[in-house]
Amino acid sequence: MNYYVKRLGRSLLTLVLVITITFGLTRLMPGGPVEYMRAQLRAQNPNLSTEEINQMVQAYVGVKPDEPLPMQYLNYLVQVLQGDLGRSTFYDQPVASIYANAIPWTLFVLGTALIVTFVISVTLGALLAYKEGSRVDTVVSSISVIMNSVPYYIAAIVLIAVFVTWLGWFPLSGRSSIDIAPGFNIPFILDVTKHAVLPMLSVILTGFGAQTLGMRGNSVRVLGEDYIRVAQLRMLPTHRIAMRYVARNAILPIYTGFIIQIAFILGGSVILEEIFRYPGVGFYFFNGISSRDYPLMMGGFLLISVAVVLAVLIADLTYGILDPRASSGGGDSEAY
Amino acid sequence: MTRTDRLEDYLAQRYETFLLAWSDWRFKLGLLVVVTFVLMGTAGVMLVPKPAYSDGGKWDAPFAGTENLFGTNQFGQDILAMLIHATPAMLLMIIGGAVFATGIGALVGIVSGYKGGRLDEVLMTISDTAMMLPGLPLIIVIGAIWEPTNPFIVGILVSINAWAGTARGLRSQVLTIREESYVEASRVMGVSTPSILRKDITPQLLPLILVNFVMSGRGVIFNSVALYFLGVLPVQNVNWGVMLQQAYEAGAVTSPTLFYTILFPLLTIVILSWGMIMLSQGLDRVVNVRVRARHEGGPQE
Amino acid sequence: MSKTIQHERESDMNEETILEIRNASVTFDMDRGTSRVLNDVSVDVKRNEILGIVGESGSGKSMFADSMLNAVVEPGNLSGEIIYHPEDGQPVDLANADRETMEKYRWKEVSMVFQGAMSSFNPTQKIKDHFTETIKAHDHSLSEGMAHARELLTKLHLDPERVLKSYPHELSGGMQQRALIALSLVLKPRVLVMDEPTAALDLLMQRSILGLLAELQEEYGLTVVFITHDLPLVAGLADRIGVMYAFELAEIGPADQMLENPAHPYTRDLLNAVPNLNTPLDEMKPIEGSSPDPVNDHTGCQYASRCSLATSKCHSTDPPFEQAGDDHETACFHWERAREEIPMAIHDDVPTSDFAVQGKQSAEPVVTLDDVDVHFENKGGFLSQLRGESETVYAVNDIDLDIYENDVVALIGESGCGKSTLGKTAIGIQRPTDGSLDYRGQDVWETRDGGSGDVSFNEIRQSLQLIHQDPGSSLNPNMSVAKALAEPLKQAQSDLSFKDRRERILGMLEYVGLTPAKDYAERYPHQLSGGEKQRVALIRALFMNPDLIFADEAVSALDVSLRVEMMDLMLELQDRFNTSYLFISHNLENARYLAGKTDGRIGVMYLGNIVEIGPAEEMIDNPKHPYTKVLRWSTTDVDPDEDVEEPPIRGIDIPDPVDPPSGCPFQTRCPKAREQCTKEAPSLEASNVDGHSVACFREQDGDHPYWDSEPVEEVDLETDIFGPDLPPAARPETDTGSGSQTADD
Repeated sequence: MNYYVKRLGRSLLTLVLVITITFGLTRLMPGGPVEYMRAQLRAQNPNLSTEEINQMVQAYVGVKPDEPLPMQYLNYLVQVLQGDLGRSTFYDQPVASIYANAIPWTLFVLGTALIVTFVISVTLGALLAYKEGSRVDTVVSSISVIMNSVPYYIAAIVLIAVFVTWLGWFPLSGRSSIDIAPGFNIPFILDVTKHAVLPMLSVILTGFGAQTLGMRGNSVRVLGEDYIRVAQLRMLPTHRIAMRYVARNAILPIYTGFIIQIAFILGGSVILEEIFRYPGVGFYFFNGISSRDYPLMMGGFLLISVAVVLAVLIADLTYGILDPRASSGGGDSEAY
Repeated sequence: MTRTDRLEDYLAQRYETFLLAWSDWRFKLGLLVVVTFVLMGTAGVMLVPKPAYSDGGKWDAPFAGTENLFGTNQFGQDILAMLIHATPAMLLMIIGGAVFATGIGALVGIVSGYKGGRLDEVLMTISDTAMMLPGLPLIIVIGAIWEPTNPFIVGILVSINAWAGTARGLRSQVLTIREESYVEASRVMGVSTPSILRKDITPQLLPLILVNFVMSGRGVIFNSVALYFLGVLPVQNVNWGVMLQQAYEAGAVTSPTLFYTILFPLLTIVILSWGMIMLSQGLDRVVNVRVRARHEGGPQE
Repeated sequence: MSKTIQHERESDMNEETILEIRNASVTFDMDRGTSRVLNDVSVDVKRNEILGIVGESGSGKSMFADSMLNAVVEPGNLSGEIIYHPEDGQPVDLANADRETMEKYRWKEVSMVFQGAMSSFNPTQKIKDHFTETIKAHDHSLSEGMAHARELLTKLHLDPERVLKSYPHELSGGMQQRALIALSLVLKPRVLVMDEPTAALDLLMQRSILGLLAELQEEYGLTVVFITHDLPLVAGLADRIGVMYAFELAEIGPADQMLENPAHPYTRDLLNAVPNLNTPLDEMKPIEGSSPDPVNDHTGCQYASRCSLATSKCHSTDPPFEQAGDDHETACFHWERAREEIPMAIHDDVPTSDFAVQGKQSAEPVVTLDDVDVHFENKGGFLSQLRGESETVYAVNDIDLDIYENDVVALIGESGCGKSTLGKTAIGIQRPTDGSLDYRGQDVWETRDGGSGDVSFNEIRQSLQLIHQDPGSSLNPNMSVAKALAEPLKQAQSDLSFKDRRERILGMLEYVGLTPAKDYAERYPHQLSGGEKQRVALIRALFMNPDLIFADEAVSALDVSLRVEMMDLMLELQDRFNTSYLFISHNLENARYLAGKTDGRIGVMYLGNIVEIGPAEEMIDNPKHPYTKVLRWSTTDVDPDEDVEEPPIRGIDIPDPVDPPSGCPFQTRCPKAREQCTKEAPSLEASNVDGHSVACFREQDGDHPYWDSEPVEEVDLETDIFGPDLPPAARPETDTGSGSQTADD
């Protein structure tokens, strides 16, 4: 109980912090969005009154510059919580609707990539642990390290060069081809998959290494535990020992690593979607950056943060179910 | 007399630790890579002239002759010279970022772990929250608004929430160490808290701190190259990320003949990053004292 | 008297062998050579017997246990034969059996209980799943199997429903160990191998489990091989005892002969080294030297280097087993001389009268605990704290205690009774929730918070020192011995020059026997043995010139033969440094050894309360509180004639200190509890003997409401150790010694 309350509290706190950061950056940074926007509006429409400009600024950024700071913050908070993220200057559309359209695509690509990475790491890591010291272990471990030293955007560049330019197997950009009508049919699903494969691969190829090594280390440790020995003496079937004893106890510690990975990979959508021209959250966020479209930029940051917080929360809560020791709190050590 | 004694003692002990790390081939390899890059960034810039538009023709192929070994880019600049002259700024970024992330992380982790109580709760809530922030978008937003150019500052910016992981990891170590009887014995003897932290706690953590330092450095490379590649940060000098961007924009990915313009900076980044991972993994033996004890002990009942 | 497991076996049929161990050896290949951790051991285990195998750590006894199930871990290599004789059917060699054969015998016929119960269960799986998977894996009927499991758990004094639905970490150590025993018996095996099954538990829990085990053994016709380092523990339990030394079997024979008149010099030395309540203090002596390395070559008698009777023949030739009595074999050339020349301390009667008073105590206390409470808030997160959802652990309740100069106070009690917390409070590293700690009449915590006083907090801090239980972590691994010892000198005597410091350190190392001192001064902790580390830790505490040293189970982690040596050193240095000890132990024998030699006191703690405190010998010979009597009962005497019986308590497990019982803390387990005990807590009151106080209504005179109230529960236990149910004045005069279960009947 305690554990869940704690996690939930932490998530809420993070959300508030993110909103505060976006507000702070929007309002307070010298040369920040509000000043930038006022200057722009004034340049475009020299005959507008200050009051009118302030109103326009509020429509776009969500902050009314002439109000006292706490009021501005409160109004901003209320607006954000109502789902009003301001209006994009570049697309001249509500930021919320732009992202509402983009979110499913990002979640599809990165969510799948995350889960596939996790499954591969766990299986491969456990396998290596069983074969500890063998040639397979050495080779796969070395490959894991090398792949882990490649930044995912570099993997993306190489993948494009190989599979798009040279081999021509995959299309470069977009969610789907223009000539295929969207719908729940096989050609469309195949097409969508084809577009998503390379971005997914960039994450999987560069992400599996660290977790595989982690899983390998944990499995080696668990294999040396007394309870494995006792289970073997009890003549339990090998598959039961592998699944219920080794796998379960070895996965738990790397699960935390997996949780941290979520933030990292979702944040990475910015570069990945830009390289692949894949119109997801990161793509629009980056468009916001390069066109100095502050509402779009802040909205994107906020949304990515929310996605991370939610994903981490889900992972945290499932961890509580997987490990009976987590939810019982553990002994707090006394202070001195 | 006593001071030199103590220094000697200290050095002897550090040397022993170093030898232990050196016995791991990964450490040797990693150190070799890192030292090579340091030489590139110090001696290399003095030996190799700055890249200029007159270095060669547009897109001279690599390995064609003795001049322009790695070829030239679309502006006729020598790629090898660019790679070398981008190194000092990158090293500064790495040092700035790693010192910042490891310093703050170690401070928060050690204090939080040793002091415990309310302070620990507060510090860990902050760390957990920082860890949950999506780092790259945050860095991009701040970078885009702020536009820093000083490599040190850039290094710090791109590791803005990297300290949190370090703090978490060190704290859990400190929690174990502070329960060790000898720490309590020191406390009971009336040894001051700073002295306990210095003599009893930090020496045990040094290898782990070093590993975190190396890994933060690697994070700095990842993030800063990404930022320059995306063109978020203003450019002053040659930079690996900018080289990637220029080559990418010039069609290095779509034209196989130009692929070398992107391949060399790409390999440079991967090799340095790999070397740093090797270095940190090679320290494993020093970090993991239990493994060390097992190596010396042999099977026991 | 209760049922005894020592009864005559009905016929010779039962005497047949069930497990035959022939030339079992275990080797490990290591860089520095082949390590032979079990060397050519042959033993016959007889059907329905309890065979005790005793050895110190590093004697190869665990390897012996593993060998019996052919369960030696990689890369160990087992050779020899382990032949199992089923009741009907052909004998099987388990050492050379394939997996299919092993499936039929391992756990089903020959089962095992390990030392670490916590690490023997899968932490992410409920206890129930451990049972069901075991039953299913052997194709037994699940409902029958679970019914048997529940029966076993009930017999082991556990609530089956509660235990089965718990995760391992939710149970206490004693509960886990009993659940593990039930798990190992769920398939109704014929042989049960137990490798130090109780080593990590309190004595009372150990004895309780042993009592239950003896019953199970009888009821299910089990053969038990009980492996332990603790000779007294198996004395009353085992039919036969084997002693292992340096990876070999040294001697094996009937339990009574092995204890009363062993033939091997090692067994005799070992028995003399074991602190025992019936042994006169000056006759206990440690064994000199240390066990050999398993990599060394194994020719000759392994004990020769430490044996007082060794001749050149012992060093060159392996001694064969010789018949030293009926069914009694010993691997010694000189066993006849050993029986003549190595006297056994155990046979002498307890000479209580010539007990030397060595302690000299001041009139004014050094440290005074006044009505001290220590409560811990088991706090959850921020939100649950807001909702007031915190639990309070009542670790220490209303304790008064004075410690004088040159005093020794030994506190005993089961783990979790608050004795360590009390000790930490006494030396001012744990702030009491309520009450006060005075140092020479000055409030310590007030001084620390800036109050004025003659003595500064720093001085008080330095005057109260401690020694820890675990020698492994007592020294900073990065500091040499000399550096570690310089630290206290810098703190306490900052005016010493580097040279003076060095001289004092070397002198002290020499004094405690760490010679050559110059060599030891440069060593790092990993180059010291456990006993050596403990000595350095002792010097470190003494260099502070303390008035009081809190020794937290300071000898518990040491081998039996080293404990006496360490305690002697502590007492010797007490004299030299003019200090006092607050010694904490779960072991009555150690407490008695230290407190007894200095005319000190023993205090008994239960659930955060001191229930009885008094002069050491008085506490041993004439305990008054039922709990002290139970502890006294649990302290096994080396006496094979004594039966292992059911524990004289109503419940084996200690109540949760978060929710202590009403009235007297012990009322939930006390066989003598009456209604009055549940309503009111007795206070610690002085008895007729000087310095002896008890917190029990049974020490009140006849008009106390206790004597008129009804017993809480009708108990069918052997409770004669508690004396007649009469007020003290009405008790027969001769009854004073009833508490001690001396075997002279």
